[in-house]
Amino acid sequence: MSWRGANGLRPWLMQRLSAVYIAGFLLFILFNLAAAPVISFDAWRGWVASPLVNAAIALFVLALLIHAWVGTRDVLMDYVKPVALRFVLLTLFALIFLISLFWSLRVLFSVPPS
Amino acid sequence: MTMMKLARRKFDTLVIGAGGGGLRSAMQLAQADANVAVVSKVFPTRSHTVAAQGGMNAALANVVPDNWHWHMYDTVKGSDYLGDQDAIEYMCRAASHLVVELEHAGVPFSRLDNGKIYQRPFGGQSQDFGGAQAARTCAAADRTGHAILHSLYQQNIRAKTHFFDEYFAIDLVKDSDGYILGAVVLEIETGEPLLIEAKTTLLATGGVGQLFRTNTNAHINTGDGIAMALRAGIPVQDMEFFQFHPTGIAGKGMLITEGVRGEGGYLVNKDGERFMERYAPQAKDLASRDVVSRAIAVEVREGRGCGPNADYVMLKLEHLGAEVIKKRLPGIRDMAMTFIGVDPIEEPIPVFPTAHYTMGGIPTNRHGQVVVPLGEGAEEPIPGLYAVGECACVSVHGANRLGGNSLLDIVVFGRAAGNHIIEYLTENRHHRPLDEGSVDNALARIARWEQDGEGESVDVLRQELQRVMEENCSVFRSEEILAEGVVKVQALAGRLQNARLKDQSKVFNTARIEAFELENLMALGLATVQSALARKESRGAHSRVDYPDRDDERWMKHSLYYEDGRVDYKPVRTKPLTVDTFPPKARVY
Amino acid sequence: MPAKAFLPQRHGVHRDNGNLFSMCILCLCGKLFWQLRAWLAAMSRKTETMRFLIYRYNPDEGKPPRMQEYRLDGFDSGDKLLDALLRIKAELDPTLSFRRSCGEGVCGADSLNINGRNGLACITPLNELGETVEIRPLPGRPVIRDLVVDMEQFYHQYRAVKPWLTVHDPEPETEYLQTPEQRDQLDGLYECILCGCCSTACPSFWWNPDKFRGPAALLQAWRFLADSRDQATGDRLAELEGPYHLFRCHSIMNCVDVCPKGLNPTQAIGNIKKLMLKHHV
Repeated sequence: MSWRGANGLRPWLMQRLSAVYIAGFLLFILFNLAAAPVISFDAWRGWVASPLVNAAIALFVLALLIHAWVGTRDVLMDYVKPVALRFVLLTLFALIFLISLFWSLRVLFSVPPS
Repeated sequence: MTMMKLARRKFDTLVIGAGGGGLRSAMQLAQADANVAVVSKVFPTRSHTVAAQGGMNAALANVVPDNWHWHMYDTVKGSDYLGDQDAIEYMCRAASHLVVELEHAGVPFSRLDNGKIYQRPFGGQSQDFGGAQAARTCAAADRTGHAILHSLYQQNIRAKTHFFDEYFAIDLVKDSDGYILGAVVLEIETGEPLLIEAKTTLLATGGVGQLFRTNTNAHINTGDGIAMALRAGIPVQDMEFFQFHPTGIAGKGMLITEGVRGEGGYLVNKDGERFMERYAPQAKDLASRDVVSRAIAVEVREGRGCGPNADYVMLKLEHLGAEVIKKRLPGIRDMAMTFIGVDPIEEPIPVFPTAHYTMGGIPTNRHGQVVVPLGEGAEEPIPGLYAVGECACVSVHGANRLGGNSLLDIVVFGRAAGNHIIEYLTENRHHRPLDEGSVDNALARIARWEQDGEGESVDVLRQELQRVMEENCSVFRSEEILAEGVVKVQALAGRLQNARLKDQSKVFNTARIEAFELENLMALGLATVQSALARKESRGAHSRVDYPDRDDERWMKHSLYYEDGRVDYKPVRTKPLTVDTFPPKARVY
Repeated sequence: MPAKAFLPQRHGVHRDNGNLFSMCILCLCGKLFWQLRAWLAAMSRKTETMRFLIYRYNPDEGKPPRMQEYRLDGFDSGDKLLDALLRIKAELDPTLSFRRSCGEGVCGADSLNINGRNGLACITPLNELGETVEIRPLPGRPVIRDLVVDMEQFYHQYRAVKPWLTVHDPEPETEYLQTPEQRDQLDGLYECILCGCCSTACPSFWWNPDKFRGPAALLQAWRFLADSRDQATGDRLAELEGPYHLFRCHSIMNCVDVCPKGLNPTQAIGNIKKLMLKHHV
């Protein structure tokens, strides 16, 4: 994929795919909560700690951030015309999203299996 | 302003008008690496070719057996034997090749199940020289003109034709030897004149439908090129023959294609009678346009019209069914719903004959060269000047054009002119010098509208002209009515001298453009009504109640109207290129 | 390239951006709002006299743009907005400039912003517009004069998608064959009249008219991609790659909402994206 391809089709595709995952994940959570309401912190902690759920949540965070990144990038491309300012803003958002990602992953993986 | 101060550009060829004819020529010239400029007063795809609906004739024989010779016979007969048979043979022979060429250029023609171009029956078509109905009209649904114009424009972008969009042509530039060397044009956006010098100039400016109050034409169809030729001393040919399309939406004028009747629609009067059976027992609703128009006018005149004022007839097509209408006639369905709130799937459309097509125009030969009587010859070409399409009179339409032949005319003679121009350019490599006085007329014309003060309104005069033409030069004509028409138009032309513009702004001044257009309309109104008064017979679209018969003995000739009001004549070219002449016969459908 | 492009920019100071905001709202509220508004307007019409508020600007006068009011009566029930404009020019004010050609909705010359919504004057019925009609030039384009805007950028984007049939095979003697089903793919695409209603109603085109091709041009790009005869699919898709030419479309669908011919550029754009994806995998 060329540079332009990487900047056109790929982000668009990532946005679509992440949206599908986000929607699926939310349905999964809702279904689980409806089927077996979690009432105690330990039960919740235990559920999150199961490897499958843990990985699903990690993927969800990743998808959410990718989705947000593509959306933010689109908005900045549309509305922020000065290249320098746009670059600064893009970098800022990239940093925020990356930090969010690492922070979320740290929290997730720090949950010990019960 | 003098010529020295005038901005100028130089091109090999100047094409004035960006409809199908102009763009077909320009495409070919640009592809041949000629330096070609197209001047158009509107963006090219707003030209009136875009409104053509039904299709383009060519004997492809995709649906029923067909032959260019049968097409030629129909065209000669349709022209009421006033068409020049060499040009008609040339056109009908070239037709199939040119349709295929357009298809290759991208035109999205409708298709038959075998993948070939769809063809529908149209008026005046027959197999085997007057036999069964033919199906000769190649169609892209009912938007054929749109499809062709857009494809030609696209091919011109590809070929890098130089477009001057929204420039209005004022006058041709002529030197003392009679060469046409370009034109003075006006950039509408800035109001500044520009001299475009060209070794060859092609007029493709369309017809003059705006002469009549109710017409099927665009607002831009004011005959600018024909009037420019007239002012350059060229006579205009056969202007008395103006086609009234049988099926314009009654009172509004929007065109309802003949393709409706081609697909099986028919006309009824207030008694529900399919009256065309009386006027044309064999062809019925698919008789020639002049025949159908007269039949409708007679029905209405004899009190069998529909509606509260009994002033129109009905075009029925509900029986075709929703599927055929949506697939083959979607555009006219839109049109009927938009303009009269009638869905033709459920109700018939009220129609009345409406001014539609200028059969006459600038006299040319079959190469698109403008020809005039000079010295001994009746048809001497004017060096450097060409004309194609509705503004030209080759004449392939004679006294009455067949439906589907106008889109054919523009591409056939657009190409023919292109061929001849390429030849001319190889023999004339240099621009001829221009003398100081050659642009004076054009500049005087511009200056005339810069006079300030109170005066007649351009708009009032145009409306009066359109009313006079409609009342005095319509489907049925007589000596008395036409003579009155001449007097009235002359009076209006006199008043035009006193007209003034209230808007003297230079920037996109459409009022000024309309003033130039009115000058053109006025000149052609006079040409039309004078030529009609002079012709004392009935032929094709020219129907004289006081001379109801065709008179081949005295009147099988083309009329030539000069700017000074003189009407002259030249013979019809009855000898085809290779086949035998079709001699005049009684014309029955 | 038209001659214009070589000349210095003489205008472009004034753009009618006055209602871009309200048109953004249109994105949110969609068609329902306008339908309701049209019904209310039709119901509230009491008198025969109609009031027209028309955007006026002439750079020759050196004055800022203004809205000018005209009042007219005596309309027929079937009259369209173009009839009113022609009458205003003929009877009230010959200095009003606007474009028009065919008068029947097939040439695309008289596209305007009518009561905040883009459309063709010649097919917009007066009786659906209410007592007061506000007429502005197409939004976001440089105003040349009054209702006449400079459409060059719009045409440039159209030319940029190479809107012509490209076939690499040698030309046959006869027509290229195409089944009726293949031809059906072009319905809803080739009918575009280049009026510009869609692109000038598109927020993405407002923000990036120099880079985003816009709905009209993209509809034509798809018209050739969808044509069974065309052989330039790869080149066409490559040209549309990147963040701007195609992917500025965010499916706002203003184009679909305003198209006077009932065409669907958003769907065409979606089809291009799908085809592009198919080509990549």
